[in-house]
Amino acid sequence: MVSSVTDTTIPAAAAGISDIDAARLTLRGVSKRYSADPTVAAAVESIDLDIEPGEFVTLLGPSGCGKTSTLRMIAGFETLTEGAINLDGVDISATPPNRRPMSMVFQSYALFPHLSVRDNVSYGLKLKKISASRIAEDVDGILAIMNLSGLADRAPHQLSGGQQQRVALARALVMRPKVLLFDEPLSNLDAKLRVQMRHEIRLLQRRLGITSIFVTHDQDEAMTMSDRIVVMSKGRIEQVGAPSEVYRRPASMFVADFIGRANFLDAEVEAIHGDGTATAAVLGDSLRVPAHPDVVVGDTAQLLVRPESVHLSTGAAEKSERATGDVGRVLNTVFYGSTVEYEIETDSGNLIASVSDPVAADVLDLQSVAHVRVESDRAWLLPDRE
Amino acid sequence: MALTLDPTSTPTQALTPAPRRRTRGTRRDPSVMIIVAIIVVVLVLLLGLPMSKLVMAAFSAEGIAVFTGMFTNPANLRVVGNTMLLGLLVGVCGTLVGFLFAFAQVRLKFRGKRLLHLLALVPVVAPPFAVATATITLFGRSGVITSSLLGINTDVYGLGGLVFVLTLSFSPVAYMNLKGMLENLDPSLDEAASDLGASKARIFFTVTLPMLAPGIAGSFLLLFVEGIADLANPLVLGGDYTVLSTRAYIAVTGEFNVQAGAAYSILLIVPALLVFLVQRYWTGKKQVTSVTGKPSGRAELITAPTLRIPVLVLVSAWVAVTITVYATVVAGGFLKVPGVNNEFTLDHFRFVLAGIGSKAMLDTTVMALIAAPTAGVLGMLIAWLVVRKLGRFAGVLDFVGMLGLAVPGTVLGIGYAVAFLVPTEIFGVQILPPLAGGAAAFGGGLAIVMVFITRSLPPGQRAGVAALAQINPAIDEASTSLGASGATTFRKVTLPLIHSAFATGITLATARAMTTLSPIVFLTTPGIKIMTSQILAEVDAGRFGNAFAYCALLVTIVLAIIGLINLLLRKVVFRGLLRH
Repeated sequence: MVSSVTDTTIPAAAAGISDIDAARLTLRGVSKRYSADPTVAAAVESIDLDIEPGEFVTLLGPSGCGKTSTLRMIAGFETLTEGAINLDGVDISATPPNRRPMSMVFQSYALFPHLSVRDNVSYGLKLKKISASRIAEDVDGILAIMNLSGLADRAPHQLSGGQQQRVALARALVMRPKVLLFDEPLSNLDAKLRVQMRHEIRLLQRRLGITSIFVTHDQDEAMTMSDRIVVMSKGRIEQVGAPSEVYRRPASMFVADFIGRANFLDAEVEAIHGDGTATAAVLGDSLRVPAHPDVVVGDTAQLLVRPESVHLSTGAAEKSERATGDVGRVLNTVFYGSTVEYEIETDSGNLIASVSDPVAADVLDLQSVAHVRVESDRAWLLPDRE
Repeated sequence: MALTLDPTSTPTQALTPAPRRRTRGTRRDPSVMIIVAIIVVVLVLLLGLPMSKLVMAAFSAEGIAVFTGMFTNPANLRVVGNTMLLGLLVGVCGTLVGFLFAFAQVRLKFRGKRLLHLLALVPVVAPPFAVATATITLFGRSGVITSSLLGINTDVYGLGGLVFVLTLSFSPVAYMNLKGMLENLDPSLDEAASDLGASKARIFFTVTLPMLAPGIAGSFLLLFVEGIADLANPLVLGGDYTVLSTRAYIAVTGEFNVQAGAAYSILLIVPALLVFLVQRYWTGKKQVTSVTGKPSGRAELITAPTLRIPVLVLVSAWVAVTITVYATVVAGGFLKVPGVNNEFTLDHFRFVLAGIGSKAMLDTTVMALIAAPTAGVLGMLIAWLVVRKLGRFAGVLDFVGMLGLAVPGTVLGIGYAVAFLVPTEIFGVQILPPLAGGAAAFGGGLAIVMVFITRSLPPGQRAGVAALAQINPAIDEASTSLGASGATTFRKVTLPLIHSAFATGITLATARAMTTLSPIVFLTTPGIKIMTSQILAEVDAGRFGNAFAYCALLVTIVLAIIGLINLLLRKVVFRGLLRH
């Protein structure tokens, strides 16, 4: 039922929405304060961001980090306390939301409950005073793309959650927006449908080449959909980067912790090398690992190791009684089917190790000991501060 | 994502309130600014001007004389005392009756609940003095029951009669209030008490009653204000028992001293506004504290005879009295001299329909039909601005809109008389001609329409606010994001979604406009006949039969209009929905 976008034979051109001209969006020093009281922290604090034409950018962060406020300022629903928003070089911060060439897809979909699917989708076009035949053509085209053709005369409440979501998307796309805004649009869907819709939205966005900004608190969504992820915390941008960069080379411990799962091991920085690596003493050994530029020799640092980069091996360690050096003790095991996870106690701190494709006979016993080995080229050394 | 037609039914996905956010960005919207400007001008005309002129008149030399006389003149002091005593008794009795009905309705097990509900609400549609007139017919000096049946000589005129009539008229307010609270009480509280070993009676006194305390106090205050503000019944039934509203009426219409009338009304407005503010404060707090969600179940209905029998006996007795009184109103129109010469006749209806009565019917209906939709639209617009568009200013606008309910009708009428019998001037420049009085345009009809609008604005506004609060603000934003201006969004999205509240608003507005008397008596002119003031004239002249005929026709017209409005709105708005 939902495979429309993946294997549809209707080209976007036929729908009349291929002529979307992607826009460049620039945020300069954008701040938002809801309170005049200077002791109350700003919701958004001096954000700079450049979004390239056709790019899919995700604003990711925990609730209250300012991602939604930022999106709403871009849409025009909130005024800027400071700063400027430029669309293709033109400052739009004083333009009212209904005059901005952007469409928003809402978390609740915000379909008009008293209008049919067709009337929902044509709502914005009718306001533009376009000829009725042109409206019908555009609406039919987008409904076909979204695989909603048979549902045009239904009322929103007669649709499933996924269909409602696609109507909301169609209603936004039919306006040929220069920028498409998404406010956590997938959070009301069940887990399976959510994964499917991620895929659909991303494919459609790629094909139309439409500049998109997507707000979410779900790191999987951000990782799987984005060209670039903007990680936010407490109203500030922590890092902007491609998903792999944000995952492997996080700019801060906050980012490392928020994206994916992270082990932090206490490490002493012994040497810094010119190629972006450093040597650090960790787990009773000296490891040469990729390092953050701010790492300083002699300092303590934190070595970020993803659970899947931790390898455990039994053998010589079995005789050891204490967890020292590279020997760790199994505190807990959790069997997930595709992986088994261990919580291991070591000198450098407790860590989680994830072993994929486990066989029951190989699962380590509680309180048993094992050698811990870190894949050093996949680790990341971070300065020891928040 | 079903369209929720009834604001109280389960809200679905699209209408689920999302985390509230003020839409600050739309404040720049010029269409919204224009709407705000228009509404401010309208509210100033409807309420601001009359109220400020009233205050100025009250503090003029003649007005001050009344204030100072208040403490030196024992007659005036007695008027104040009378008013407070009447309010107090009406508050207590009305709340008691309302509570008995609500308790029976929600907690007791018996047959005919829907019927009881309807009977409890009958006084809402009836014109105010129908009850007073019927009471005189039944219980007066030559009353059917007191004199003919029981052969006792009672004096119904005065405090006793007034308390009875006002209790009968206003107890539905307390009933609705307390019924809602009783229904929302979490039955698990009762179950918990019962689990701990409390008897039903003990639960009632230690759990139910304390939980209802705010509702009981709120009902008492509302009825207190209704009691002190009423004009029609004290005029008909008061006898020597003078209260502030009748005193103000006499000052204006008998002594032609509008300033003195203004001074008396200021004394009325103070307690009314205090109660209004207390109510707002309470309901504002309630939204934060006691609305915890749906009740976790349905309380077990009480079958124990110790509680059931006395309550049902009292309720039945009161129902019997209500039915008798209203039956008298209906039947009275067909009797030669109701209660004295009970011969069947159509003379009264002939008199009303053939004489000035038909003009009164026409004038009243036309004006109500102009005023009600205007008030309905105005109420919805204010509700929309309050809920969606305005930040800090919203509270002020909401407050001013609701003033039409808080200000006693007598006060409003005198305010209008003070403000609009003369041209409106600002710094000596005339900006408005006189709007009231026989010499004004439309024979003074404009001022009456304005009073109708003012009086019927609050119910619609309240219904609109409640309905809008249920709609996710994202729906408005979606419309904006698709390019619609604020006004377009209101017309194409908001209004269709709150149309049932709109219908309720217009319905209540019509009923209120057509049955209102107290502000009208100060504004009627020879050219314009209003049914309620005609009824008062007939009662004054002792022609009760004609009055009853008027009442019956008035209620018929009100019900017909209500039915018509609902039919029309349903047809227009539902056509699009029922297709699916």
